Amino acid sequence: MCWDVVLAVTVFLFMRKGESGGDMLHFSHDAFGASRIQELTETLPVRHVVLPDKPKLKFLNKVPNLKKAKKEAKKLWDIQGPAKSANTFTTGQYAIVAMGGGYLHWGHIEMMRLTINRKMDARTTFAMWRINAPYKPITRKGLGQRMGGGKGAIDHYVTPVRYGRLIVEVGGKVELGEVEHILTEVAKKLPFPAKVMSKESLATLQKKQADMEQNNQNPWTFKKIAQGNMLGIRRVLSPFDLHNHGRFTGKFHFPQRV
Amino acid sequence: MAATLCSKLLPKQGWVPLTQSVRHGSKAVTRHRKPLHIQKQKLLAVTQYIPPAREFPPGAYPSHTKHVQEDNDLTLLMKRELKKLFEDCKMIAVVQNSSSSAEDMMTLRHRLYKHNITVKFFPNKVVRSFLSDSIYCNMGPLFVGPTVMFVSKEPKVKEMLTTLRGSPQMTLLGACVDNTLLSAQGIVSYSKLPSMTVIQGEVVSGLSMLTSHTAYLLQRHPAHLSQLLQQYIKQQSSDGSAEAAPKAEEAT
Repeated sequence: MCWDVVLAVTVFLFMRKGESGGDMLHFSHDAFGASRIQELTETLPVRHVVLPDKPKLKFLNKVPNLKKAKKEAKKLWDIQGPAKSANTFTTGQYAIVAMGGGYLHWGHIEMMRLTINRKMDARTTFAMWRINAPYKPITRKGLGQRMGGGKGAIDHYVTPVRYGRLIVEVGGKVELGEVEHILTEVAKKLPFPAKVMSKESLATLQKKQADMEQNNQNPWTFKKIAQGNMLGIRRVLSPFDLHNHGRFTGKFHFPQRV
Repeated sequence: MAATLCSKLLPKQGWVPLTQSVRHGSKAVTRHRKPLHIQKQKLLAVTQYIPPAREFPPGAYPSHTKHVQEDNDLTLLMKRELKKLFEDCKMIAVVQNSSSSAEDMMTLRHRLYKHNITVKFFPNKVVRSFLSDSIYCNMGPLFVGPTVMFVSKEPKVKEMLTTLRGSPQMTLLGACVDNTLLSAQGIVSYSKLPSMTVIQGEVVSGLSMLTSHTAYLLQRHPAHLSQLLQQYIKQQSSDGSAEAAPKAEEAT
């Protein structure tokens, strides 16, 4: 993390300039100026962050732009297990992280977009999506229709999310305390357990998991028993269990297991 | 045809199907957790995470490697002073100071100074580290809590005790008098002893009395004999004179 004092001073001058109508020379001769600058450098740390041109969350399409919409199978594996992509930070510092699998509707996405865009300060903060626009078609049969007659029509599209995926990434010249309340408010409304995390807290969580795996005092691990097929246990285990070593059942994650 | 055969051959009552078809499809419901097979439940229970034993907090037990602290200059100076003190002074009393005020301490110091007893303050840590290397290591346990040392070049125990009687907040713990470690009771009994010159006089008189008695005993018998003989002679001579006198009277 890099603190830049010079940048802080310039920011302060800029802010003062905005208040007092741009009389820089007068301000620099102000008797209280020097002490105030020092105070601000202590309380207002500034990072080396380049804000993107459009700091707000983009609008995501409700329906993908396809030539021919095709019905798909349920494909439940797309919410099972841990996320393989978008599970690390890129340019932001804080994010909403999924603590279980689930499907995000366009409504959830709009809710997040509107809340975050309205409440965040676009001059210091930026937010970016780490999910794609809804692309998975969900079919429904019409109301009052008899069963049979093939698969129903495409009703809506969803975005599948797995455990550990970042949903929205927030960064800029802000502290966690400034954006946490916005993100928690949003995270509560998502269709899966979600948490607000900073870059450091995510690293801590991952380290804790790795430590638990390292320091496990139980000589019998799920991995050993499942891979060795002890007592023919593979009969009741799925290939999914073989990969995840009992840490997941479907979209659910067991945080206490290693 | 087959159905009629089956119905005739198979007994109707108490029939249990030999095979039971159970549907194991993929379940579309993701709202709740799938019910687990009992064997998988057991496996999950067996392979639970066991954390490592809790580590003791640092400082709960003394470290195996002894922590050697370098003495700073002040400590060295105080140790040198202590060494000098223990060499020079014959009486070193350790007194517990239970929250006596500065004024009380001042008066006590003044009263003690009249008898050439000085009051010394040293940090217990320094004193204990000094005592541990010296021959006075048995004094170490006395230096616990707020302690004060009364020091004098002559063993003026009686004066010290009388002065201490005036200040109840000072408790005598022990003392090293003439290279002898004394308890509080021991100091009291020491103070009841008479002074050195009196003792020496007593010893000398006792010793001279013994020799004089021996000499007396040795001289007694010859003296007695000579006395008896003298008396005998005297008696004899007196008798002779008495006899001689009448003889002389007779002769005359």
